[in-house]
Amino acid sequence: MAEMVRKSSVDEVVNHWILAGSCILLGITGFAFLFHLEWVSSLFGGVNTMKEVHNWGGVVFCLSLLYSMRHYLKDAFEYDADDWQWFKVAGGYLSHKVKVPPMGKYNPGQKLYYLAIVVAGIAIALSGFGMWFLKEDASMLLLSHIVHNVAFIIFVIAVPVHIYLGTLANPGTLQIMLTGMMPLNEAKKKHPKWIKAVGKM
Amino acid sequence: MANDTSKNRKAILVTPEACIGCRACQVACKSWNQLPAIKTTNNGTYQNPPDLASAAYNIIQYSEVPFKENLVRWLFLSRRCMHCEDAGCVTICPSGALYKTAEGAVAFDRDKCIGCKLCVTACPFDVPRYDGEGKVTKCHLCFDRIANGMDPACVKTCPTGALKYGDRAELIDTAKKEGYTTLYGENDLHGLGSVYAFKEEPKLYGMKENPAIPSSVVFWHNYLKPLSLIGLGGVVAAAAVHYLAIGPHKEKEEEV
Repeated sequence: MAEMVRKSSVDEVVNHWILAGSCILLGITGFAFLFHLEWVSSLFGGVNTMKEVHNWGGVVFCLSLLYSMRHYLKDAFEYDADDWQWFKVAGGYLSHKVKVPPMGKYNPGQKLYYLAIVVAGIAIALSGFGMWFLKEDASMLLLSHIVHNVAFIIFVIAVPVHIYLGTLANPGTLQIMLTGMMPLNEAKKKHPKWIKAVGKM
Repeated sequence: MANDTSKNRKAILVTPEACIGCRACQVACKSWNQLPAIKTTNNGTYQNPPDLASAAYNIIQYSEVPFKENLVRWLFLSRRCMHCEDAGCVTICPSGALYKTAEGAVAFDRDKCIGCKLCVTACPFDVPRYDGEGKVTKCHLCFDRIANGMDPACVKTCPTGALKYGDRAELIDTAKKEGYTTLYGENDLHGLGSVYAFKEEPKLYGMKENPAIPSSVVFWHNYLKPLSLIGLGGVVAAAAVHYLAIGPHKEKEEEV
């Protein structure tokens, strides 16, 4: 069996799926509120229960997002020359022939994705709490409503891209987020700077 | 943002000039809707309760306005939900609790209300109120009565004809023929379901000038809602195209 290297810690993997699960639940119930999807609200036994699920799901998402910062936030702010070159070749996603520069643990697309989720996540969480607790103030309620919906659009665009790139577009990637481990040989090719940094190359 | 325009749209026509301020409409409304009394204190006006409330779907607004040489005019204005054709409350309601009936009434399904209060922010006329259990209440044009061919309770009891109910277009036509020059709500918000017939400036009676749904609600409805679907559909389609046209990352090509 090929030698494996740990890319994600157990708590990172668990937290990722809590974040992902709550995010998808919130997205589905969010669409149900937006377009009055009764077949969705009836799955929850009615729109009032769906609201409770949405609100408390938001609390779970919020805590999970805060916890995820210990895993990704530092990396998400660090960019080097290879990262800029990565953007120039679009990460190799538009052509398999271009040479993709050597990457660290995360490529800049992933790092920017994380920052987008943090920014949109904080916005959607704060505005969600705004609609929950400040509804007596009409201007705060309207402001929260519009911020919540703008952030929602960032999510519905960014999250499917993340899911596609983490599954179909990059076979093998999903396994890393399930087990936390990836084959060392593959890691040497895809993340040479990270493997060097941890002293295995 | 207009809701479906119904050709047999019904309306209440309010003629404040004909109102004698008897408040029978308030009582009839409470009676039909089984609403409790509201404890209030005398604040120097006949207006009681002082404002629309969860137990007061309609009120008469009493105003004293200066008139020529030291005379005061005492004006009565029967207020209730305006039953907008383009109803901001229905547009923004996330649970489908607020809806429009076939007659054009804006009614509510109490069980569906999730108590978010967004309808309060979207209403140009400050109509929706919340009851003690955090559920929306408002005038529903007696949708249960009118669906069975009866007049709304307030209209049924009005002794002077200040409140009339019927076919909206006919009510407006008749009012114009009777010499009412200003029909408030004829075209506002694609036409209100509570139309007011005046011979004077509606502002004199305390009617709101240029009522409109908050611009952020209009923006949300016209742009953000469609964008959420276009965005999701767009990236899913783009991913599918990418998968077919360029294909997934392949290990061997990486070694180039």
